[in-house]
Amino acid sequence: MTNPALEFDSVSFAYHRARALEGVSFHVAPGEMVGLLGPNGAGKSTILKLAAGTLRPQAGRVCLLGDEASRLPRREAARRVAVVPQEFTVQFPYTVRQIVEMGRTPRLNLLGALDAGDHAVVDSALATTNITHLADRVLNELSGGERQRVLLALALAQEGHMLLLDEPTAHLDIRWQIETLELLRRLNAERGLTILAALHDLNLAARYFSRLILLNKRVVADGPPSRALERELLGAVYGAAVTVGVLGGEEHLSVLPPGHTWKGASTSVDGASPPPQVHALAGGGTGALALRALADAGIPFSAGPLNVGDSDYALAERLAVSCIVEPPYAPLSEAGLATAGAAMRAAGTVLICPIPLGAGNAGLLDAALAAAQSGARLILLEPEMGDASDRETLLTRVGTRDYSGRGPDLYRALLDAGAQVATSPTRAIDLLMSAGRASS
Amino acid sequence: MARETLDPAAPAQPEHIGAEAEVSASPFAPRRHKRGSWTRALVAFPVLVVMLFGSVVLAEAFSSVFIEPIVTAQVLLNATGLFDFPRTWPVTDEIILLTLRLPSVLGAVLVGAALGIAGAMLQGLLRNPLADPFLLGTSSGAALGASAAFLLPAVFTASLLGFSLLAGFAFLGALLAAALVYALATSRGRTPVVSLLLAGVAVSALLSALQTLIIIFNDRQGFQIRVLYLWLAGGVRVGSWAQVWVVAALVALGLLGALLLAPSLDVFALGEEMAAHLGLAVERRKVAVVALSALLVAGAVAISGLVGFVGLVVPHVFRILLGPRHRLLIPASALGGAIFVTLADLLARTAVAPAVLPLGALTALVGGPFFLALLRAAGRRYQW
Repeated sequence: MTNPALEFDSVSFAYHRARALEGVSFHVAPGEMVGLLGPNGAGKSTILKLAAGTLRPQAGRVCLLGDEASRLPRREAARRVAVVPQEFTVQFPYTVRQIVEMGRTPRLNLLGALDAGDHAVVDSALATTNITHLADRVLNELSGGERQRVLLALALAQEGHMLLLDEPTAHLDIRWQIETLELLRRLNAERGLTILAALHDLNLAARYFSRLILLNKRVVADGPPSRALERELLGAVYGAAVTVGVLGGEEHLSVLPPGHTWKGASTSVDGASPPPQVHALAGGGTGALALRALADAGIPFSAGPLNVGDSDYALAERLAVSCIVEPPYAPLSEAGLATAGAAMRAAGTVLICPIPLGAGNAGLLDAALAAAQSGARLILLEPEMGDASDRETLLTRVGTRDYSGRGPDLYRALLDAGAQVATSPTRAIDLLMSAGRASS
Repeated sequence: MARETLDPAAPAQPEHIGAEAEVSASPFAPRRHKRGSWTRALVAFPVLVVMLFGSVVLAEAFSSVFIEPIVTAQVLLNATGLFDFPRTWPVTDEIILLTLRLPSVLGAVLVGAALGIAGAMLQGLLRNPLADPFLLGTSSGAALGASAAFLLPAVFTASLLGFSLLAGFAFLGALLAAALVYALATSRGRTPVVSLLLAGVAVSALLSALQTLIIIFNDRQGFQIRVLYLWLAGGVRVGSWAQVWVVAALVALGLLGALLLAPSLDVFALGEEMAAHLGLAVERRKVAVVALSALLVAGAVAISGLVGFVGLVVPHVFRILLGPRHRLLIPASALGGAIFVTLADLLARTAVAPAVLPLGALTALVGGPFFLALLRAAGRRYQW
């Protein structure tokens, strides 16, 4: 059996007299993605510092891959874990690339010169965090979200097996919060990076982390969101009454302060769902980001038709108010098409993700066109396309995923019918939020 | 059904438009290419070396007896052993240049290099653009040491390695003051940067007060205040080659250590906590930086008194020109400081000859306006 990535064994810690942690025990397996929750002073940051080895527990043991963290030489600890602080300022005008290069520090020799391999790691960290174009900018000119990405790139350049993050979304607006957490999720899924993050937003925590540890100087709960976010537990830990409920899907927990109702419209836990304001056409993972972005922005939406088993289906089931479902691998049915048309007209806005265009999906676009002609608003999500205004690029891209022979023509018709193009899910949300002042 | 192979979790790219716009960036935008600062360094260092040689030639040529700069340059180049210009000058010129003047001029070069290196290191360590080499109590320590030397009967007679008692005491005073500051700022094995700054200010005030008391209470015994002040006000005084070699050894040690510490100093710019997370043994590096800069400053003080402003301004000049990375900044500051002090010393000796201006006053007088002009020209590029 391999060692846990991180192991807390009956750990207690106090700053001078103030007790911060008492008898905390938990394990994090390699490849896990764990969120730490708790009110201010619950010990979240202390846990991160102990895990990084910069604090030493007064009782108990903190182990990184089997070795006690605070006894590892700093250099060795820095090769195992990378820490992403909440915020940082940099004295003197270092560029983004120069800062990310500092991530190689624990892997350089005495002279500290980077070789080609180091530069490749730095380039890859910049690319992964999507800041290659900022590489030569001075850090302190960047926005909060961009700075957060620089911190992440710096941590990735360390090539540790584990990332420790202290409230990675604390100072960010909703767009950057989502993008940061999506990036973490991707790093976790694709690279098997172990992630431990202190979080303050319970809703985002529930949405992106499969395991949550609720802290209040000791471990109050440890498990999937549904277990860690029980109403009584949260009430006791945070000292405030909260409502815990399900917004538009069984696995999607949301936590709200008392007196609030769910965003959009009516309802609490067991009430009726709000009417969808957007209908999303997705499938094959093309809607993953957009559906989450809609949910995070609190926009109720419907989706479908989606085949059971489709990766977007699982997501829509959790996040969407309603979802039109087709059996696995089945072609689009007449009934499905009709329901979808009705859903589009009912929602008034259709978000079209970059779905592959076979005969069935082409039929859906016909329905969307019809909906547009009866007043519905259309948003074409087209990521990985630099310039939103360039129609030809869009049509070329559509051509590459067209198997019906009608794709470019359909998109041309949709554009003529007033469809707007969004180059990212967050842009799509922006467009939706600015509803009413549309299509001028 | 065939499926578009889109990465389902491909991140959104809201910065794309910004990326396009950046290609046509303003002239104030930092240089584009990632190795830009290195290419500039390839130009800068040869230029600096040539400028330093030029400064040395001028400083040698202009003195009580003027010797043609061309001749001076040829004599100096011959002395390196790399060149062999036919001698067209009287032997006396060669003796004047190499035996009488060169130790002093090299002293100025070393003082400037030491202060430049120490300034760059301390600004980096303390993350403070206002830090200067005298910040850690070294100036008042040196002043107190020099004043204390005057209490001894042998102040003008005793010497060690060519150094007067005055210089020796100033050297020790600077080192002890820095050690005291470091000790006072340390608790529980940690030395926070803020404590270091505050302890530096407090110890400086304390030592200055002690120096004042020494001067006042010894006034009646013919205490030579004027001599003391002239000594402290700065001016390169090198009496022998031995002194040059001692200080040169200190500067060489300081430069070598500073270059090894350069990558760590870059990481310090992210804050001590990040430096620790990136694997640095923070406290050990800090001791090394403080000890090296104290040695450099003490060495400079021993042969020049208190020459201010060099260590503060020179690193800023090269941060503007070459960027903040210490591996370029430190050697550039060494060369730049050397050029600056050599020329300032030349000016101090010749401006109102035969009188000599205090070097410390001159560096501030000339350097101040130059630095302000440079800061204004750099504009937005030098803000962070």
